[in-house]
Amino acid sequence: MTLPAQVGTGRKFFMNFPVTADSHTLAAYRGRGGYQALAKVLSTGMAPTDVTKEVTASGILGHGGAAFPAGRKWGVVKLDDGEPHYVCMNADEGEPGTFKDRWLLEHVPHMCLEGLILASYALKGRHAFIYIRGEFDLPWRRMRDAIEEAYAAGLLGENIQGSGFSLDVVLYRGAGSYVCGEASAMLASLEGKKGWPRNRPPRLTVKGLYQRPTVVNNVETLANVPIIIAEGAEAFRKVGTAKSPGTQMISISGHIARPGVYEVEYGYSWERFLYEDCGGMQGGKALKCVIPGGVSTKILSAEELKGVTLDHNSALAAGSQVGSGGMIAIAEGTCMVRLARVIQRFYHHESCGQCTPCREGMGWMERVLDRIVRGQGRPEDIDRLYHISTANDGTTICSLGDSAGYAVTAILDHYREEFEYYIANGRSMHDGTLTVTDPFAESLARWHAAHPGALSPTLAAGAH
Amino acid sequence: MSERKTIDFFINGEPAVAYDGETVIQAARRAGVDIPHFCWHPELSVPGNCRICMVEVEQEKGDPWFDIGCNMPVTAGMRVLTESETVKKLRRDTMQFITLNHPVDCGICSKSGECTLQDYHYEHNGRPSLSIDRKNHATKFYPLSDRIMLDNERCIMCTRCVRFTHEVSQSKALAAVHRGDQALIRPAEDANFNTDAYSDNVIDICPVGALLSRKDLSNARVWYTESTPSVCPGCARGCTIDIWHRKASWKFTALDPQLNTRIERVTPRETPEVNGPWICNKARDLSALLERPRAMEALVAGRPVPTPEAVVQAAALLAGAQRPLVLVSSWASNEELAAFQSAFGERLGRSLTAVVKADHQPQPGEVEEDAILIVADKNPNTRGAMALFPAWDGTIPPATDLVVVWGEGGMAAALPAGLPVIRMSGYAASDNAEAAVFLPLSIQIERDGSYTNIDGVVNSFRGYLTKAPAVLHAIDLFPSLAAAQPPVLTGRAS
Repeated sequence: MTLPAQVGTGRKFFMNFPVTADSHTLAAYRGRGGYQALAKVLSTGMAPTDVTKEVTASGILGHGGAAFPAGRKWGVVKLDDGEPHYVCMNADEGEPGTFKDRWLLEHVPHMCLEGLILASYALKGRHAFIYIRGEFDLPWRRMRDAIEEAYAAGLLGENIQGSGFSLDVVLYRGAGSYVCGEASAMLASLEGKKGWPRNRPPRLTVKGLYQRPTVVNNVETLANVPIIIAEGAEAFRKVGTAKSPGTQMISISGHIARPGVYEVEYGYSWERFLYEDCGGMQGGKALKCVIPGGVSTKILSAEELKGVTLDHNSALAAGSQVGSGGMIAIAEGTCMVRLARVIQRFYHHESCGQCTPCREGMGWMERVLDRIVRGQGRPEDIDRLYHISTANDGTTICSLGDSAGYAVTAILDHYREEFEYYIANGRSMHDGTLTVTDPFAESLARWHAAHPGALSPTLAAGAH
Repeated sequence: MSERKTIDFFINGEPAVAYDGETVIQAARRAGVDIPHFCWHPELSVPGNCRICMVEVEQEKGDPWFDIGCNMPVTAGMRVLTESETVKKLRRDTMQFITLNHPVDCGICSKSGECTLQDYHYEHNGRPSLSIDRKNHATKFYPLSDRIMLDNERCIMCTRCVRFTHEVSQSKALAAVHRGDQALIRPAEDANFNTDAYSDNVIDICPVGALLSRKDLSNARVWYTESTPSVCPGCARGCTIDIWHRKASWKFTALDPQLNTRIERVTPRETPEVNGPWICNKARDLSALLERPRAMEALVAGRPVPTPEAVVQAAALLAGAQRPLVLVSSWASNEELAAFQSAFGERLGRSLTAVVKADHQPQPGEVEEDAILIVADKNPNTRGAMALFPAWDGTIPPATDLVVVWGEGGMAAALPAGLPVIRMSGYAASDNAEAAVFLPLSIQIERDGSYTNIDGVVNSFRGYLTKAPAVLHAIDLFPSLAAAQPPVLTGRAS
């Protein structure tokens, strides 16, 4: 595996091979240089702490949304405390608009698995867990097959490659709860309990799964580990920017001409990504704003995006975050009041009901927004939404309540006049229907013309 | 006990001391600072879900730090503020959230008057709801078990009840289902709350009126009743309890007079070394034990006679007996036992034998014994009585010419036919009429006294009812019984 040259949106760690019907298999992954990082670690007898050191030196930031340095998270775990340590891959990708882990699980499951094995090696884990979103069918089957292949090839199980290191992986399917993507709720769900987040302290790296030190990492974070180990931290740092090394998988949807999953090198121009790589807005409409990384991140208007690059520092300076990489492009003419209501309906539906401010506040905010959309809004409703959001900020167990507040207040900050108009007039500023075209329709028709009698491109690719 | 490490810190500027490992809310409680809390309970785990116990921690530099006091370990020198303006604002906001979907139906709620939510509303909020939207509706009067009903609208999802069944009563019978503001407390599918012998404790720990006793539902408003400290006689654990009864100032004059004296309900009175804050359901149903039909008049050979006359007859029988055997009650208070010992001190061990009998045996269907509170001996003062007298082996010594049965038990069938018997008891029983002399005694709620529990802890109880004139207090009776003199009848003794 060698670091690829800069092409398109920058260098690519994952999306650097043609996807075929069997490009996800062990043989194909090995053909691309897979499991060399693991072989390197096991054959050279690299110490677990050296693996952590390498990951820390690479400066990789967590790809789940919070951008916490992965190496620092691993470094907290005391390796010689005599307790079992667990590593969990967080594949419960539930942030609205985010579907980049899905691509990784479907197409490079072995890369994710190799990362998990390396992380378990670094943290002296004997058991590792993959908590996969229940709705993910193909990703689950691909990961299940990958684990079976890995066991058969001696990459998992007792005494891996004769190194004395043993690891068993448990693949666990979630049951459809957004909050189970929060690390502590995920562990509670893994334990068979209700998916309720846990209070800190204690931190999960002190008392996590089954009250043992546990590291929970996002799929993409773990998938980066083989690259870091194989190529070395120094080479990894050369990709991306100084503060955000590496690449970011971005799933873009919304009113964009070419939605889908992209791999973007950190530091890439945001506007160039939207207008060139993704083909601009559907129907040539103007961009109104983007939700940069899942609905929990604050929106950025088209003006705010000017000159911003896709990396953590630049996004922070612009007033938002890269988040989970789930980008949603919103075209001019979209009613932000109704958008806020859709977002809030999601948070209301997904609030776990454990702690008071979020349990009650999410429903309250949705009812206020609902009333505005019904045309029965009152001028004081805007202040009420701010009030509920601030009362949720930092007062809840997990960050679901805060996130909902950020999402709604960011829309209010940017488009307050749309709310005032809606409340005053009982109707939206943007009553016209938004003309959107199916971006796939044309290419699908072309494909069918070229493949007479075939069912669909995905079926032909062996996806089902 | 080993010395616990202490940590010095500050609450609201005042120096305070915490034990190592204590949280802010625990240390503050001992320092006399009350941090409001719904979900936290000293005997249960910390869920940190109600968020009302937010406190401020001043930082050396930078912004203060806010977090819940129930999950915040005390660190040396930390400066905690529990009444800062921001903390008060956070509490007000949290109270708004808690009451958002709460029906605020205090007027018809049985918890009204002793409700934490009500108290906190006046103390920490005081504003009407800021919401103008409809409230969520949920199940009313959901039967969690034969004993307890749940009002899901009043529930604030503190999960104290769920944790109680997991951590204390071990029945694991309750759970939280659904998400968000649709979350509900429900019985767990694979457990049975009906068989939880401690289920009624969830009523006490519920900070709102969501969990209520079906037996006591709407019996009496809290402010019409008052409590008297007492000791549960249901078993030798001797749990300390409060017996609730109607206040003298709120007596009914027109209705059934029984309503003025009946036991409205029984709640635990916290005693760490005996029962902590819990009691079992048998104690809740103490009225079934104490309000059984009473023996209200003295009998000689089954015929009612004035009490003094019966006492004279009994004293004469005792004085004439060469080898009387006294079966001492294990329901007698320590004071009564002492009065017996001093009255019969000269004869005891020489011509008179006193042995302790078990008044009550476990009833069918009752939990006989468990690892929590309930013990197999169903008598409250066996240990107190055994400190003075040996246990009865169930036999009657051959030379015995008179048996005195004090308290219940000691059935006629167990005694040799033809042997004269004196019975003294508070309750009506068919054996009473078969005795040569029967003397009616007062019961626990009519007199003060104390019991020694199975671990040797002495707990006292108070009487709140006046005994009937024909009924005797045992401590008044014994001197006259020993001296063969008519008793001095008092309305209230000891």
